[in-house]
Amino acid sequence: MRATACGWWQLNSAYDKHAHSVSDDSAVVRRWLHRLVEPAWLFTIVALLVLAVIWGATLNLVTKEYAAADRTAAALVADSADTYEAQVVRALREIDTTLKLVHYSLGDRPAQAVLEELRDRDMLPPELLFTVSVADSGGDVIASTPEASPSQRNVADYDYFLRAHEDEGMVVGLPRRNQETGEWQLFFSRRAQAQAEGLTVIVAVSVHAGYFVSGYDPDVLGEGGILALLGSDGIFRVKRTGDELTMGAAVDYAAVISTNGTIGGPARVEVNPWDQTPRYTVARQLYEFPLAIVVGLSEAEHLAAARQSVRSYLWYAALASLLLLAVIALLGRLSWRLQRSQSRIMEERVAHARRVEYLAFHDNLTGLPNRAYFTRLLTQGMQQSRRYGKRLALLFLDLDRFKAINDSLGHDAGDELLQEVGLRLNGSVRESDIVARLGGDEFVILLPEITDASQVAVVADKILAAVSMPFTLVGQEFRITVSIGIALFPQDGEDEQTLMKHADVAMYHAKEQGKNNAQFYSEKLSVDSLERLALESSMRKALEHEEFRLFYQSKQDMLTGRVTGMEALLRWQHPDLGLIAPMQFIPLAEENGLIVPIGRWVFNTACRQNVEWQAQGFPPLSMAVNLSARQFLDDHLLQDIKSALDETGMAPELLELEITESMMMLDMPRTVRILKDLKRMGVRVAIDDFGTGYSSLSKLKEFPLDTIKIDGSFIQDLVNSAEDRSLTEAIIELGKGLGLTVVAEGVESIEQADYLRVHSCDQFQGFYINMPMPAAEFEVAMRQQIRRFEDTNPTD
Amino acid sequence: MRLTSIVLGLFLSFIVGTASAEVVVVVSVQNPIESLSRAQLTDIYLGRLNRFPHGGAVTPMDQREGTTAHSTFYRDYLGQSPAQIKAHWSKLIFTGRGQPPRSVAGDSAMADTVAASPDVIGYLDSTYLGSVDEGDRLRVVAIE
Repeated sequence: MRATACGWWQLNSAYDKHAHSVSDDSAVVRRWLHRLVEPAWLFTIVALLVLAVIWGATLNLVTKEYAAADRTAAALVADSADTYEAQVVRALREIDTTLKLVHYSLGDRPAQAVLEELRDRDMLPPELLFTVSVADSGGDVIASTPEASPSQRNVADYDYFLRAHEDEGMVVGLPRRNQETGEWQLFFSRRAQAQAEGLTVIVAVSVHAGYFVSGYDPDVLGEGGILALLGSDGIFRVKRTGDELTMGAAVDYAAVISTNGTIGGPARVEVNPWDQTPRYTVARQLYEFPLAIVVGLSEAEHLAAARQSVRSYLWYAALASLLLLAVIALLGRLSWRLQRSQSRIMEERVAHARRVEYLAFHDNLTGLPNRAYFTRLLTQGMQQSRRYGKRLALLFLDLDRFKAINDSLGHDAGDELLQEVGLRLNGSVRESDIVARLGGDEFVILLPEITDASQVAVVADKILAAVSMPFTLVGQEFRITVSIGIALFPQDGEDEQTLMKHADVAMYHAKEQGKNNAQFYSEKLSVDSLERLALESSMRKALEHEEFRLFYQSKQDMLTGRVTGMEALLRWQHPDLGLIAPMQFIPLAEENGLIVPIGRWVFNTACRQNVEWQAQGFPPLSMAVNLSARQFLDDHLLQDIKSALDETGMAPELLELEITESMMMLDMPRTVRILKDLKRMGVRVAIDDFGTGYSSLSKLKEFPLDTIKIDGSFIQDLVNSAEDRSLTEAIIELGKGLGLTVVAEGVESIEQADYLRVHSCDQFQGFYINMPMPAAEFEVAMRQQIRRFEDTNPTD
Repeated sequence: MRLTSIVLGLFLSFIVGTASAEVVVVVSVQNPIESLSRAQLTDIYLGRLNRFPHGGAVTPMDQREGTTAHSTFYRDYLGQSPAQIKAHWSKLIFTGRGQPPRSVAGDSAMADTVAASPDVIGYLDSTYLGSVDEGDRLRVVAIE
């Protein structure tokens, strides 16, 4: 069943797919573009782009920063080297000038006097830093200003003294530490002639070693730079790095000079061999002196600032990236949530639409397809069958006595019953078969793909068996049966409407055939059903047109033959069909509910008739009226009876209501309640057709009854059937035992009457006395009977 | 003998101690200046200032390096050691931006040099002023 429903959905989606595949390739491109603007993709792309921009800019900046730092350093060192060179050369020239000045001033005067004179004339360099001295050929210092320290009074072992004898120009001596002051000094010397002191003297200028590197500016060269005076002999006269002075270290002069030194050229990064430090270095040989200057800027130190800013760029970039990612993640998450909630809403809408669609096509009580959906399925099934030349069967089901159960047990129980029936029906057919509920207690089953009718009969039998299994409702066990009408496609109808109608007709035939059976449709049934339809429509007008009649049949006392009362019997005087027996229209009236107004009419008419006869001088005769099941369970029953009695003025005790055994057993507690209410009103109650039902005799005493009426079927065979005789005797005995009046129905012969009289039956009725007849005839017959009775039994 | 030498040693050290502790800045009495701030004095002696506050040219005069007066003066008034002074002048001379003050040997030479010119400013041991009355040609400048 569900499978079929699903199949229908799939059919639609398959159609959609087909429609998609037809569209051209541009749809693929469009789908990709569409996907790109989906938040997940969009955010990722934007994030990647912005990240690329951030890092591209940062790396560019870093490169530029380093390049700028490199250029600055190279230029700075080159500038510093130029300046330093100029300063060194000037300082050296000043010293050389001093040496020459002393040399030429010596003449034949005493050296000390010459130096003091020059000093007083301010022609010597400041004493604070410079010491000017003259040594004789033996190395003894013969003059000095300021005064030579004791360790320097003889300089015979000083290299500048020794070399000055050989070299023509100014000698640049090796640095030495002054033993008294602990100060490193540089020495410059020249050979000179002094007549007063002998032939040859050496003039020397010593200077504080730090003097030549005092131009070291930490602001420019930092703590790791270098400023040095390197002798062409490869020995550093003085070298300064930061505040640290080093004197006398030796290096490979050629190696240092060869790589560097072009005037005006930018400095290059060299790993300085003396301390293995990479520096922007300029090493330049001086033109007039056996010296070279070395200027260097520590690469690590100089680039530290650049590195610092590079590091901060990288940090900013990283922070910006993180921030960006966080923002993107936040946005992404928000949009994802939004999307999810939208899709949830969409899903809810779709689910709701499905639910609505499901409800529109399914019966909400049983979950089975409803009439609309079944009609569609049937049409489809018929199309399929037609296309493949197959047959299908349509089963129309109607539960028997369902209205009575629904009325007696309430709608909840009725609903429960319908659900259970739906389950049982589904369980009785194959998966591919379709069970649907049309409404009320009407079900239909579609059996597609059948080969012959016997197959359908098997299914129908299975259904009958399944439905007739006992149900438990409201704690009680019930049995219900179903009537099935079967129509086959294509022979019983080419279209859906005809097929349904014919199955319905077949179902009514099954009802007429005593219910709880299945009937195949045939042409003949259709004709019958047309009559039935006509009957139903004309019945509605029958009340207005006063087409109903009451016939009366008298009851006699068994022993005396006195008329005790009568039974009112309903007939329908149809304008076209003539007189219709209750058997033919009461079931219909029960189904369409007309039985209630008809019953009301019966009460009123019977009561009025009885009162009228009383008024005409008839003895007080009881009036029996039959109740149908529907009437009996109708909530207004008591009210209807009461108003009939009140309006006509009939004595309640003369009214006897006849109910059947099976009606009483439907809902025993309710039956007892109704019967007690009737009793309270003073109305008598008879149990009709007694013996045909299967009521428990022991339960009988629980009902407040007045009369038992033995069913005519027992009486009929009374003379021939020993079984019926014993049953009849037992019923009479039972009735007597319960203090009830026992009435025999359908007595047709004197033999039957005699037998009953012998067995103490109280009263009887039947053709033996009279047929049911209209009021006027009954009145005449009654007068004759009363007269006859009075003749045979004179009162006085 | 030993006691005598100890007493003599203490006495000498007292004299030397008091003598080394006091160096005063002097100018010629022709110079109207009576007081200088420590910063002005420092600037004059480090070659940064070549005029007195009143506008007259100034020529600072040093005592010989290595003397007590020299080291005491730079320590007490400029807060610098002789080595620092030497480094300072090294740099100025090497870069060609100045020459250190000329120096004279001893307090009396200083007194003569200062007294000879109203532009000259110098310093000497206070004990010298205590022993020689120079009031008519030198004025002690108050350093604030």
